Amino acid sequence: MENTQVPVRQKQLRVTSIRGMGQVISVTAALLVMTVIFGIINPSFFSSDNMTNLLRQVVPIMIIGMGQSFVLITGGIDLSIGSVAGMSCMISATLMTAAHMNPILACIITLIAACMVGLVNGLLVSKTKLPAFIATLGTMIIARGIAQLANGNLNTDGIPEAADGFKNLFYYGKTFGLYNPVWIGIILFAIFTIILSKTTTGRHTYAIGSNYEAAKLSGVNVVKAETKVYIFSAFLAGVVGLMLTAQSGMGTMNAGTSYELNAVAASVIGGVSTMGGQGLLIGTVIGSFIWGVLNNGLQFAGAPLALRNLVIGVVVIVSVLIDRVARSGNVDLKKWLKF
Amino acid sequence: MKKLLSLLLVVMLVMSVFAGCAESDATASDVTKEAKLVYLITMDKMDQHWVNVDKGASVMAAGLGLKYKWDAPDVKDNAKQIEAVNNAVADNADLILLAANDPQAISEAVKNAKAKGVKIIYVDSAANEPAIATLSTNNYQAGALAATTMLDELAGAGMTSGKIGIIGVNTATNSTMDRENGFRAVVEAAGYDILTTEYKDGDAAASQESAYGFIVGNEDLVGLYGTNEGSTVGVGNAIKASGKSIIGIGFDKSDAIQGLLNDGSLKAAMAQNPFTMGYLGVAQAYAALNDESTGPAVIDTGVAVLRSNK
Repeated sequence: MENTQVPVRQKQLRVTSIRGMGQVISVTAALLVMTVIFGIINPSFFSSDNMTNLLRQVVPIMIIGMGQSFVLITGGIDLSIGSVAGMSCMISATLMTAAHMNPILACIITLIAACMVGLVNGLLVSKTKLPAFIATLGTMIIARGIAQLANGNLNTDGIPEAADGFKNLFYYGKTFGLYNPVWIGIILFAIFTIILSKTTTGRHTYAIGSNYEAAKLSGVNVVKAETKVYIFSAFLAGVVGLMLTAQSGMGTMNAGTSYELNAVAASVIGGVSTMGGQGLLIGTVIGSFIWGVLNNGLQFAGAPLALRNLVIGVVVIVSVLIDRVARSGNVDLKKWLKF
Repeated sequence: MKKLLSLLLVVMLVMSVFAGCAESDATASDVTKEAKLVYLITMDKMDQHWVNVDKGASVMAAGLGLKYKWDAPDVKDNAKQIEAVNNAVADNADLILLAANDPQAISEAVKNAKAKGVKIIYVDSAANEPAIATLSTNNYQAGALAATTMLDELAGAGMTSGKIGIIGVNTATNSTMDRENGFRAVVEAAGYDILTTEYKDGDAAASQESAYGFIVGNEDLVGLYGTNEGSTVGVGNAIKASGKSIIGIGFDKSDAIQGLLNDGSLKAAMAQNPFTMGYLGVAQAYAALNDESTGPAVIDTGVAVLRSNK
C-alpha cells in the first residue's frame, strides 16, 4: 500500500493533534456561527419543526460518514458505500414486497448482504493489496448492479402496510420528541466511538493509517484489522439503505448515488485525514451537520440551487486547508503570498 | 501566525455562507409578512420544462401578492425530493405545488404535510396521495397524438412497415410511461414493430447512444420516439449523426429541440404547456388558500404539436 511512504514524523505527533481535536473545535465554531446566521435570515430555521427535521436529514450522511471515516483513518477509501446503500434499499424492499418477508428478517438478510460486500472490499484491499480506490470502485459498480438486479431492473412497489413499523422505526416515527433515525444515529455513534477510541480494533485502525509497516512489525494483524473497517463501513451503509427504503416506502435503484463522496466530505470537514492515521468520529458528526445545515439553511434563505453546491464545495476545501495550516506548525505566509 | 491563518480560514468558511445567501430569490422579498407562502417543488431544476413552470408560477404569485419559492433536488432523486418537501413544511409553507418524482415514494411525505395543515396541488405529475387538484398533460393521449403524428410523417415518406425504437426515461415515472403506452397502442395497431424500449433517465448523451444503437442495429428502422426532453434531444442528435432519413418524434420544447426541428433531424415535438401549469397552479392555490372553489380535480393543460418545416 502507498501508506508505506507516510513519513515517520507523523507517528511522533502529540496525541491531541493525531486525533484531530483542534479541527473539531474550529469547525464546531463555524457551525455555530452558520446556524446563527441562518436563524437571523429566516426565523423559521429555528422552529422546533425544522430542528427535528434537520436532525433527521443529517443522520444518513452522518452514519455513512462514520463508516467512511474508519476507512479513511486506515489510509484507504471506500467508494462502494453509496451503491451498498442503494443495494440495501433494493434488497430490503424487494424482500418485503415481492417476497412478502417479515420486515425484521428482511433487515437482517439485507445487513448481512451489505457486510458481505464489506468483506470482499476488505479482503481485496488487505490480502490482494489492490489499492482501495480500485477495489471499491469495482464493488461500487457491482453493488449498483445488484441493486438493479434485485427486482428485475425495476423499482419495487410500495412496501406493504404490515411494514409500517419498519417505516416508523427507520424514518417516520418519533420517540421522546426526536425522529427514530436520530436515535439510531446516536446509538451507532456511541458504539463506533467506543470501538474507535477504547478497543484494540480502534488502536489498530489508527496504527495502520499512521504507519502500515510499523503496525505490521509491531504485531498488528493487518489483514484482520483492515478487513474489519471495510465491514464496518458496509454495515453502516446498509443501515442507511434501510432508512432510504423507509423514507420512500419503496426500493429505488439509484438510491444512495454519490453518498460515498458526501461521506468523504463530511469526514474531511470534520478533520479526518485522507492520508490516514487521524480523525475522530465526533468530527464526522460535526462535518455532517455542516453539510446538513448548509443544505437546509441555504434553502431557507432562498439561495439558488447552483450556489448551494458552490458554497458546499468551498467549505470542503477551506476545512481541509484549516487542518493543513493547523497541523503544520511552520506555515510561511510570505511564501504563500509570493507564489 | 498559524493561529491567525486558522482564524482567517474559519472566517472565510463563514463568509462563504453569506455569499450563498446574498443572491437570494428576490421574488419573496417585497411582500408583506401576512402573505401566504406558496412553494413549488419540481423533480429537478435542469429541464427548461421546470423553468417554465416556475415562470408561470412566479408571474401569477406576484400578481396575487403571494410569497413564492421554487425548490427542487439537484438531480431527480426520491430521497432528496422528500427532504425538499419536509423542508418546505418546516419553512411554514401554506401550500405546495408538487411535481412528484415518484407517485409512491413521495406520498408519505405529502400525507405528513397535509397532517400539518399544508395544502397540496400537483403540477405535471401527481402522487398517489389525494390532493386538491392536479394540473398536468394527459400523457396517454399526448403519446397517442405523437403516434398519429409519426404515422402521418411515415405515410408522407411513403412507408407502411418497419421497426420503431423508443427511448424512455425510466419504468417508474408514470407520466413518461403513459406517453410510451399511448404511443405504443396506436403504432402497433398500424402494423409497425416496436423494439424493446431503452430507458436512459432523461440523460441526453446516454439517450443518443441508445438511439444510435437502434439505428446501427436495425437496417429497417423507420422511426424513433423520445418520451421527454433529454431522450428527445438524444433521438434528434442520433438521427443527425447517422445522416439517415429516420422519422424522429419527441416530447417537450427547448432550445436544443427547436434546433433539431429547424434542421429536420426531428419531425415533430409534443410541446406541453409548463407555463400554464405553474400559472394556473398558483391561481388554484390562491383559491384554495382563500377557501374558494378550485374547480375540477384534474385539469388537462394540453399539448401543441411543433412541426419541423423541412
